[in-house]
Amino acid sequence: MLFNSFSFGLFLPITLLLYWWAGFNRIKTQNAILFVASYIFYGLWDWRFLLLIGASSLVDYLAALAIDKSQERKWKKLFLFSSLAWNLGILVTFKYYNFFIDQFALLFNLSDGEYAFSTLNLILPVGLSFYTFQTMSYTIDVYKKRVRPTTNLLNFLGFVSFFPQLVAGPIEKASHLLTQFSKKRQFEMETAKEGLRQILWGLFKKMVIADNAALVVNLVYANPENYGSLTLVYASALFFLQIYGDFSGYSDIAIGTAKLFGFKLSKNFNLPYLARSVTDFWQRWHITLTRWFNDYVYFPLIQKNLRSGARRNSAILLTMGLIGLWHGPDWTFVVFGLFQGFLIILERIPLGKDRKSSFYYRPIKSRITAPIFNFILITVSSILFRSQNIEDAWLILKRIVSFIPSIEFTAMTSKYFLIFSVSMLVAEIMTRTKDTPLSQLNKTVKRPVRWLIYYLLIFIIFQYAGFKEDFIYFQF
Amino acid sequence: MPDLRKTLSISSFNRPQRQLLKACVIFFVPLVIIYAVLETVAVRLPITYKIISEYLQAEAPNIKLMALGSSQVKSAFNPALSSVPAITLASSSQHHKEDFLILQGTIDRLPSLEYVLFEISYMHLELPYHSKDYWKNTMYLKYYGVNAFERHTYFKDKLVYLAHPKYYSSRIRNHYFFRNEDSIAYNKFGFDTGNFQGSFSKLNYDTTLIENHYFKYYTRENLDIFKNNTQYLFKMLDYMAKKKLKVMICTVPLYKTYLKKRNPNIVHRRDSVLQLIQSKYSNVIIIDKETDTTNFKVRDFINENHLNPDGAHTFTTMVNGAIGIFEQ
Repeated sequence: MLFNSFSFGLFLPITLLLYWWAGFNRIKTQNAILFVASYIFYGLWDWRFLLLIGASSLVDYLAALAIDKSQERKWKKLFLFSSLAWNLGILVTFKYYNFFIDQFALLFNLSDGEYAFSTLNLILPVGLSFYTFQTMSYTIDVYKKRVRPTTNLLNFLGFVSFFPQLVAGPIEKASHLLTQFSKKRQFEMETAKEGLRQILWGLFKKMVIADNAALVVNLVYANPENYGSLTLVYASALFFLQIYGDFSGYSDIAIGTAKLFGFKLSKNFNLPYLARSVTDFWQRWHITLTRWFNDYVYFPLIQKNLRSGARRNSAILLTMGLIGLWHGPDWTFVVFGLFQGFLIILERIPLGKDRKSSFYYRPIKSRITAPIFNFILITVSSILFRSQNIEDAWLILKRIVSFIPSIEFTAMTSKYFLIFSVSMLVAEIMTRTKDTPLSQLNKTVKRPVRWLIYYLLIFIIFQYAGFKEDFIYFQF
Repeated sequence: MPDLRKTLSISSFNRPQRQLLKACVIFFVPLVIIYAVLETVAVRLPITYKIISEYLQAEAPNIKLMALGSSQVKSAFNPALSSVPAITLASSSQHHKEDFLILQGTIDRLPSLEYVLFEISYMHLELPYHSKDYWKNTMYLKYYGVNAFERHTYFKDKLVYLAHPKYYSSRIRNHYFFRNEDSIAYNKFGFDTGNFQGSFSKLNYDTTLIENHYFKYYTRENLDIFKNNTQYLFKMLDYMAKKKLKVMICTVPLYKTYLKKRNPNIVHRRDSVLQLIQSKYSNVIIIDKETDTTNFKVRDFINENHLNPDGAHTFTTMVNGAIGIFEQ
């Protein structure tokens, strides 16, 4: 069930009314409603996915309890590694197995039938990488005693499957989300209204910005050899806009929906197009994923020797390479991640005698040139991210620097799309301290004007929405 | 025990909740009313699906030929000129998957059906099929009674405005407010006999300008899609053979600028499939006109890969010729 579908338009109010009807004093009933609703939401994709998420939840629930109960460290470790093996096992099986087998065969120049392991015909369960990371962080945190394990199975099932963030995050930590399941929530009129506004803004970003950008991006990236340099640059820049509109739009809807239920989810985007460096970009883009990799990969790798530059750089490369691989089983993603890592390392190289003379510590001062420079770097990287394979990415880069005329360029541009995109960016920048440009609108404008703004956005969504595209991050 | 009437009713909502609900109802009621109006207006638009649907209902027992395919067939075959009673169920971007589902979904209503015309144009075997939520599935369901969703259908699946608001908004605007659809002249078969306006007419059919004009074309090879589409195609042909249908597979004329841009590997693979079909199925005739630059001149085209009604006249005559061969 997509957030921008008719079905979700029915599902959300029904679930919400049931949830309210249960009353905020009945936490168990409310959690049960959320759990059932989340399983319905997820099961409508494919009921078989429920078996996997159910099994995964049970394994981690039991593993965390076992870790907590064990007295000896070796047993704690054993339960932790069992949980990690299970989570990484399903992730590798469903997402990466075929990729690794193909690469193995390619490496040894083997053709079909010449190697013992054949590729599997498996469907990748939607959101697998998101909930797997969430449950892994739970058992690690229990092992590290950062969080107490829950004995309440219903709460834990709700935490893993919470439908607003189940399929594309934000990736939440147990210390933040699970604890909310055990507390009494409150209905606050203002929070609920904020939630509705955030949903509306998210729908606008997804349906008007991302889906329209997708029309050009998909067309150009399907046959890049047919397009000139300017069109390729335009399509690549649009891809950044597409993925931003798509994913941050999704996050807005997720966070807004959670607010209606009295939950608070983590912020996942913070105007990444204003980033002044690549490091800064990753602190603004998919914040919860970067945080996850920082906490569970990068810091554990460097903590033994904080002063070793080589260790730190290797850790950056490994972390960014894994972030790339997290996005999908393809070399384009791995190279994308490594390229980002390489740029982050470059930013940290001292430019003078002082260790802190690097671009990392002293980014370009200008508020305009730094984001533009950074945007160019990110757009170049996103060519890798979007291309179907490395050859295509290389072809696009070559065509861009060859200055091939683009007679098709004007046919690719749309006046309305450019107006909406610029308006979105300007609105977000002007209201950057708020969750969305629509936040706290009641404090600045009266109800008739507010409603007019909402009606206008709904009109724009209906009138100018592009073809319905799946949320890009669902595939990850 | 708590009073059930109090806990299991709307009265268990607190005041702010009731206020928000009330505000939501007041906010959404006008939207629902506007949507209902838009849906009603959209349904009344004179679109081809509606005209074809009316023709299908009225003439179903007599129809002998069904044309399927994309906009290329839609603009190339005029049922009014067919030598046998015909219907065209071709539409823009329609692929073999939809073709097959439409055929299967309507065949029981067409007792006299003898011939099926469909295309295997240049890119047909290497373009992916649409998803199960393709917006035109609503049209097929609403107007042809064909379930192309390949799942149980619901009320929302029949809402045409919701299927593609952008398209219908523009059609409503053009039809009711700007009235700039004057050139559209559908005949009773849903074929647009006024369909001359396109990039070629804008360029005054000047061949030099056309040579330098940008148009969309595909050259990307995709063997996985090719395998999948070819398998599906043979499944479709087996079904038609089983139903004892006489099949005409066509390739629709392309203008010479498009012919030059074609990827030879894609053409070669497609032609091999055509040869295989010819040798395997006795109920099939191939009408290969893709490279026919003798019978189709620049003034027969709307753009690089679509014929105008003049071109359709010539092409339909060729289809009639193929029917003649079947009847010999």
